[in-house]
Amino acid sequence: MKPLHLIALLLACTPALAEMHAPLTPEQRTNGIGTLAAVDSLTRQLKATVALIIGDKDRPIATATWVGEDGYFLTKASDTPLLEKAKIRISDKQTAAIREIHRHVGLDLVLAQAVGVAGMKPIRFESKPQTTAYGQWLTSPAKAGREIKIGVVSAQRRHIPGDGAAIGVRMDQKPVQGGGVRVEGIAEDSPAAVAGLKKDDILLELAGEKLSQFQRVHEIIRQRQPGELVEVKCRRGVIHLTLQVRLASRSKILQNWEGEDFANGGISIRTDNFPQVIQHDIPLSPLDMGSPLLDLAGTPIGINIARVDRVTTFALPAEIFWKEIQPLIEADRHPPKALKP
Amino acid sequence: MAKEQTATLDDLKQVQKTVQTLLPTLRPAVVAIQTGDGTASGVIINDEGLILTAAHVAEKPGRELVVVMDDGSRTRGLTLGLDKTTDAALMQLKDRTKKWPHVKVSREVIKAQPGLWCIALGHPGGFDPKRGVVLRVGRVIKQTANSLQTDCVLMGGDSGGPLFNLRGEVIGIHSQIWEDRDHNMHVSMAPFLRAWDDMKSSQVIRIWGTGSGGYLGIHIGSPDAAIVEVQQVQAKSAAHESGLRVGDRIESLDQEPVLSVAQFQNAVRLRPPGTAITLKIRRQQEVREISVTLGKLPKEDEG
Repeated sequence: MKPLHLIALLLACTPALAEMHAPLTPEQRTNGIGTLAAVDSLTRQLKATVALIIGDKDRPIATATWVGEDGYFLTKASDTPLLEKAKIRISDKQTAAIREIHRHVGLDLVLAQAVGVAGMKPIRFESKPQTTAYGQWLTSPAKAGREIKIGVVSAQRRHIPGDGAAIGVRMDQKPVQGGGVRVEGIAEDSPAAVAGLKKDDILLELAGEKLSQFQRVHEIIRQRQPGELVEVKCRRGVIHLTLQVRLASRSKILQNWEGEDFANGGISIRTDNFPQVIQHDIPLSPLDMGSPLLDLAGTPIGINIARVDRVTTFALPAEIFWKEIQPLIEADRHPPKALKP
Repeated sequence: MAKEQTATLDDLKQVQKTVQTLLPTLRPAVVAIQTGDGTASGVIINDEGLILTAAHVAEKPGRELVVVMDDGSRTRGLTLGLDKTTDAALMQLKDRTKKWPHVKVSREVIKAQPGLWCIALGHPGGFDPKRGVVLRVGRVIKQTANSLQTDCVLMGGDSGGPLFNLRGEVIGIHSQIWEDRDHNMHVSMAPFLRAWDDMKSSQVIRIWGTGSGGYLGIHIGSPDAAIVEVQQVQAKSAAHESGLRVGDRIESLDQEPVLSVAQFQNAVRLRPPGTAITLKIRRQQEVREISVTLGKLPKEDEG
């Protein structure tokens, strides 16, 4: 099932003959300013509904969608494992600390609050079902609201089954003398590659368990979810290293093993195991996940949850998550008081 | 030009309405093709089950491949001829007893101009009954003699799938991608229309001279110009032998009025080498007719 047809053909570049009309400039294309002029009023409105979550060394991690004027927001859980160590950028000058309220692994969403802020412009999600149909225009803010993009519903709504987590290493089946498992190969852009594992490293410990057989690595990983952090102890020559590896969806690793990722900007860590998704063709990047999805009238439809491949982005419909999230916000705003006897 | 203007919300709504009206009629004609080591797409264009796909999907004439219909049912098809120089290919469904769902092919290749809204359908990554066919809506970015570039994003498995205009006619067949999101290439209808009979009779076109269409051997200026005036005549070319001269203005080709350089070039390329054409030209005040037998693209220009 390896989808390599198009890529294989790149070898057969044909010389371009004389052109007819001048090609479209980037401004004239589907997501150029000429076309986006049609949704100009939405652009201004949507700008303030999102904020960027900033990690270590000011590195952007994910997009947050405001869901309360008092700083409640939603973002993608598997992209933000250490959310309270991160900050949220309120404006060019202001950042705020983050308080995590609830992490919903099934939905891959996390509800949190920016500490000490007010006057946010929230998206008003609703629990009542919204119909979407093939070909319906949709819009999302991108780059934390600096841009807005459009696209269409491009496939049927459906459940995306989970295929488990993976780390992205191929291992030598022969045990290493003195214990450990030798790494034979590493998938490009995989959790192992991102964490800094290299070919010929000897894996000594995984999640606190000493390793002697390669099958144990698969067993330990399989019990976990994409997005989880796992500690790996390994030996490189005489040097001993301890690395934190953030697991990804197994389907992501398999698809990307050859490094032939034409997704532009990469794909998300977790790309499966969702109760229901809307698939669309808005040109977003993994960093835009967590941003809202709306129709062209500005009605919220859902939240972008996974960039899957070059043609696929998934969003969770609002009716799937809002009925679970809204009570959590209410409960957090009005914590139950102990009854006096 | 529509492409110079900014779009309005009503424009987008109109596109959506057209796409949603067309989709139920287009979907049944779009198929997934299993090639043995991979998966691709194609589109049925007559009730006998003739399929347009890409040459790198068909690979060679006479291969029997599994074809998956929109409803998931499976049938078998045989690869016919292909044009390796442009990536165009034909297939024939084996079951001739059925009336197959099909779509129309656009015969006005020149009209697929930059700015035109278009619809891409296909089965990226393979047939998935829960997902269904994958729709992308975008615009033509560029037209060349044999191909179209659009911002309808494609990937592996889309190969051979159809690109439609908003009249629901096939204007391209998905062929190749570059890494850039807006770099999605489709074979235009020109190579199909030009070599239809050869491809139907299972011939393989390998040489640019044939694949790229008829060749006159004149320079006629910028493609946007409305007046087609000969600026240069190549020695020993078809144009040279017919007596065409610098300064001649070409007014019609086979009785059809010539309206622009682009239209004229396109009309020439649509005809295979060896075709005899009649040009009406104006030389100073005098109008005359000249017969030319189209040649092939000279060797030094070959890919």
